[in-house]
Amino acid sequence: MSKPSDLIQGTLDLLILKTLSLEPKHGWAIAKRIQQVSDEVLQVTQGALYPALHRLEQQGWIRSEWRASETGREAKFYVLTRAGRTQLQKELAQWERLSHAVGLITRMA
Amino acid sequence: MLRGLDIVRMRLRSLTRKARVEQELDREMRFHLDQQTEENIAAGMTPDHARRAALCSLEGITRIEEECRDMRRTNLIDDFWYDLRHAARALGNSPGFALVMILTLALSIGANTAIFSVVNGVLLRRLPYPDQNRVVRFFTANANYPKFPVNAWDFLDFRARNRSFENMAVMTRSDVQLSGAGEPIRLTAFQVSGAYFRVLGLSPERGREFDFRDELPGNGRVAMISDRLWRTRFHTDPKVVGQTVWLEQIPFTVVGVMPAETKHPGNEYRAVPYGDSVDVWRPFTFKGNPNRRGSHFLEGIGRLRKGVSPENAQQEMNAIMAQLAREHPDNDAGWRVLVVPLYREIVGASERMLLVLLGAVALVLLIACANAANLLLARATSRRREMAMRLALGAGRSRLIRQMLTESVLLSMAGGLAGSALAGGGVKILVALLPGGFPRAQDIHVNLGVFAFALTVTIGSGILFGLAPALQSYRVDLQQNLREGGRGAAGSVRHLRLRNALVVSELSLACVLLAGAGLLLRSFVNLLLSEPGFRSEHVLTAVVSLPNDTYKTDGAVSRFYDQLVARLSILPGVRTAGVGSDLPWTGYDDNLGGFQIEGKQHPPNEEFHARYHAASPDYFRALGIPLVRGRFFSDADGAKAPAVLVINQAMAERYWPGEDVIGRRINFFNDHPKESDWTRVVGVVGDVKDTPEKGAAQPAFWWPVAQVPFPAQEAAIAIRSDSTPVLLVNAIRSAVRDLDPALAVANVRLMDQIADASVSAPRFTLFLVALFAALAITLAGIGTYGVISYSVNQRTQEFGVRVALGARPWDVLRLVFGQGLKLALIGVGLGIVGALVLARLLRTMLYQVSAADPLTFCAIAIFALAIATLACYLPARRATRADAMVALRAE
Repeated sequence: MSKPSDLIQGTLDLLILKTLSLEPKHGWAIAKRIQQVSDEVLQVTQGALYPALHRLEQQGWIRSEWRASETGREAKFYVLTRAGRTQLQKELAQWERLSHAVGLITRMA
Repeated sequence: MLRGLDIVRMRLRSLTRKARVEQELDREMRFHLDQQTEENIAAGMTPDHARRAALCSLEGITRIEEECRDMRRTNLIDDFWYDLRHAARALGNSPGFALVMILTLALSIGANTAIFSVVNGVLLRRLPYPDQNRVVRFFTANANYPKFPVNAWDFLDFRARNRSFENMAVMTRSDVQLSGAGEPIRLTAFQVSGAYFRVLGLSPERGREFDFRDELPGNGRVAMISDRLWRTRFHTDPKVVGQTVWLEQIPFTVVGVMPAETKHPGNEYRAVPYGDSVDVWRPFTFKGNPNRRGSHFLEGIGRLRKGVSPENAQQEMNAIMAQLAREHPDNDAGWRVLVVPLYREIVGASERMLLVLLGAVALVLLIACANAANLLLARATSRRREMAMRLALGAGRSRLIRQMLTESVLLSMAGGLAGSALAGGGVKILVALLPGGFPRAQDIHVNLGVFAFALTVTIGSGILFGLAPALQSYRVDLQQNLREGGRGAAGSVRHLRLRNALVVSELSLACVLLAGAGLLLRSFVNLLLSEPGFRSEHVLTAVVSLPNDTYKTDGAVSRFYDQLVARLSILPGVRTAGVGSDLPWTGYDDNLGGFQIEGKQHPPNEEFHARYHAASPDYFRALGIPLVRGRFFSDADGAKAPAVLVINQAMAERYWPGEDVIGRRINFFNDHPKESDWTRVVGVVGDVKDTPEKGAAQPAFWWPVAQVPFPAQEAAIAIRSDSTPVLLVNAIRSAVRDLDPALAVANVRLMDQIADASVSAPRFTLFLVALFAALAITLAGIGTYGVISYSVNQRTQEFGVRVALGARPWDVLRLVFGQGLKLALIGVGLGIVGALVLARLLRTMLYQVSAADPLTFCAIAIFALAIATLACYLPARRATRADAMVALRAE
């Protein structure tokens, strides 16, 4: 239904998978991480994040488990699966191709 | 691989461990909320404020949760179960409503399914001949005969000269008496030319089929037999080929056995309908003078070459016919050739009737859908508040529509299930009711295709009638409905308009059906009232045939008939007994052309022609055919006596208009007649049409049985009795057996039965269309009642106030009736216009009624208005009882 309007479609999946490739995180931390690393440029709304997580999990790219968070409270952590890692490579490659192409055009014109 | 497992595991978990998944979702969201709150506090907000800001940033937590569920893809299934339970509960709460809905749907879906299974069996199933589209029938035609059998020599020329056909063949019915071991039996048999079965695409199970050599004179003593005959008479003897079978007391050699599923393609002349079993085939022998081409009695069938259309073939055949006309101007001038696809020929006559029935029953379903939509709308009104509430709480509108549709499809499924059960029984009844000789009746079954149809119709109609209320709920105005608290008088104007439109369309569709039924009824009554030309009551009939070999001469035949009549006449209870070549309305159409009439000249390219029959002295009296002028035959009109004829009025008027025909003379067989070749007309009898719905009788004449120039091997017996003719059945059998124990008596029927069977097709159509029309008008009545009754409920207070202000009951009645009758008038008006357009489709099925018969249309308009009035009456009476006090207090 509502799509992340501030992100190019499809890139949210890439960002989540990339963020999870370093270590398992819960939803809150994923959002924070994306925000920080992008120098506050990319804002992931909750309305987009959680459905995306559930979809990725449903597709088998990520897995979830309950663990103690930094504060000691139980939180739902998402872990990248092996299939997810392959998928991340694919999406990265595609993203490289796309941004390279866009870059070429913008420089030319 | 691993991922696949993961996915399956996840789906299963989402479905089966739902509570757990839900709980986790909840915890996940709460964790997020808490984190955000803490962050807000850290940024300096008060705890209370921080919490509220966090909630805000989560912008509709239920929506996020809902979307997460959507992502898990289980929502669809979950929602469906939820909707289903909800719908079942809702329907359970109003069982009367549910029952009416399910019942009307069951009736209309059942009727549709039953009619469809007939259409499926008769029109849609392929014929059991490979490449059926290439199999065609061919006929000849001229100014007098629009569709006529083929001449044998012409056929041989067609076969030799054409390039359109892979194979061509002719057939003619010639039943045989099978003798030998056991009781002699009469078998349906055909004489066919070589390659007949190759035309059909069939081949013998054993042995061979006829080739062209079998057509030569002297080679014809071979026969092919059916699987049935092989099993019953030859005890499935594997060495049956080469054995002898006695037909007409002549030995024939069996050369082939056809497989069990061999179906007769149907023929017109001495008709055997499509699909009936034929037991014996013999080769047709081409003998005689190839230059005499006046006699047409063979029925053509052919298989076109690949890629040749029937039209192309017809063109080529007509070119050949034109050559033949130059070569044989006497006989072949003026003839054309018709090439008709076999499928058309078989289903042609019944197609129109079946499509009319299918259309009628589809209209009933439409009305039932409109009715169901109407009832659902009425309910939807009372549920507007529920819908508005759910919308306000964030339910998606598409979700609401889905829920409404689930409810309507649940209803239609229940109706469809009951309807299918009804259809199962209905088809059996339909097949039993089908008029005699209905093509492919044996192909009608409830099969998978029929069930698929029922399912499609069921779901389709569920969606159709669920859509209106569903879309209505879609447009619910939130604020207004919540504010009004569901009473919603103002908001339902559009709503009421939709319901009015539904009632109008129900009434108009019902009028179309009523008009159809009315026209068919008038036509049927006309048929029953039409003068048949004979009196069928108390008449018993039967058919006897004499094998050629025992009864070689005309003398032997007529002697047998004389003796038979003498024996039958003295039976107790018999008033008159006669024999003749045939009985009225049994499909007999033997025609003779090319005779001379003394003192008359026929127009160029058009011969004198007439149906020919034979009759014993009392034949006409037994059948109650009146004498118009002159005399019937007498015992004096024997073989040696002067040749005489009885003709019918149609012949008298055609060839001797305005003249006295008694004593006029005809010569049949001699171009240069001697005085003794002339046959004198001694009597004129009343007309009997070929079938009751035919416009006029064909010219016809009768020879005395003793003077028939063609050996009459088959004779019809007619006995008029004083009392119950059925009692005479055994007496006839024993009279025949006493004369010749080797003869079989067939087709013992009352003349009443024959008369009855001849109107069975129109009666069948009338019965069904009337049934559908009754169903339709009942549904339309229910629909009208529903809308008026609803509107009366809505206006109870208004009526109360009116009564309080001094309105009399009559004024209130007038208000209600005014509303109802306005709808009814619009509906009936539209219906009459629609019916006038659609009734033209019925035109070929009507007898002496115009498709725009004013009487019928007036009558059905009045009837439909009366039903609508009745439907308004009950709510109107309730309205008059509106209590002023109650109304005012409610304000």
